[in-house]
Amino acid sequence: MDLTGNLLAGGVAFVQNLTGIMIRPYETYRRLVARRSLWELVYLGVLLLGYFTLASLVKTSAFRPFLLTRQFVVLAAAAATTYLGVVGILWAVGRKLGGKGTFTGIMVGWGYTLVPTLVWFFITSLLYVVLPPPRSTSTPGVIFSIVYLIFSVTLFWWKLILAYLTLRFGLRLDLQRIILVALVAVPIVSIYSVAMYWLGIFRVPFL
Amino acid sequence: MNDATYQKFLHRWEQVTDLPPQTVGPFTPYYKRAVKRLKVMPWPVLVGVGLVSAIVLYVALGSAVTLVASLLQRGF
Repeated sequence: MDLTGNLLAGGVAFVQNLTGIMIRPYETYRRLVARRSLWELVYLGVLLLGYFTLASLVKTSAFRPFLLTRQFVVLAAAAATTYLGVVGILWAVGRKLGGKGTFTGIMVGWGYTLVPTLVWFFITSLLYVVLPPPRSTSTPGVIFSIVYLIFSVTLFWWKLILAYLTLRFGLRLDLQRIILVALVAVPIVSIYSVAMYWLGIFRVPFL
Repeated sequence: MNDATYQKFLHRWEQVTDLPPQTVGPFTPYYKRAVKRLKVMPWPVLVGVGLVSAIVLYVALGSAVTLVASLLQRGF
């Protein structure tokens, strides 16, 4: 298939899979990891770049092209490094524990786990503009805080489910081995996240 | 067995042989019951877990839960 055909097919699959990971995550992940089409990640990349553009505008106090561009490049580079780092760690540790699968399968699987991340960061950026922190201890402040926490925890657990499915279908690991992979990967990723925090790039890691 | 049914059977057979179903020893029936809710339309369970977590945090921290929300809001 030529470039246009691949992009079109990838686009259709991306939209289908976006709906699928919300409504039927198990079946969708089985299908998308088996298909392992990297063309779908192009559309995810476009969405991510769109978010980084918005985040750069929100984070940079002055509307100066150099500062905005710098912020955009830093965010995009950090997110790409994080993505490749996490995929590499999951692949390496998973294979050591007897996992069988392809690297592209893990790339596509972990790519789709960025959807909850992107949704959380996007909504949080919007709220930062519309309802900037700090929240007050008044009744509306407490209600909003509780609703925001429900939203955050819901997306976090959705992310965990998608991460589990990435390892389950991407490396054909069972639950016990997935827990072992997590026990190895989480400390490494945590140290990396602390580094991102100290560098002032991401306070909450863009995993 | 007609052709469509056979194809469905074959497809399911290939899925199971490719990746055997998950077992958790004696807890397998409970695991299957819990996971069944997450495989299709997991949102009621996810929002329920979020609600319980938020309530637990509110009970534990009281109105200081706004501090947690403020920290998270600055997290992007």
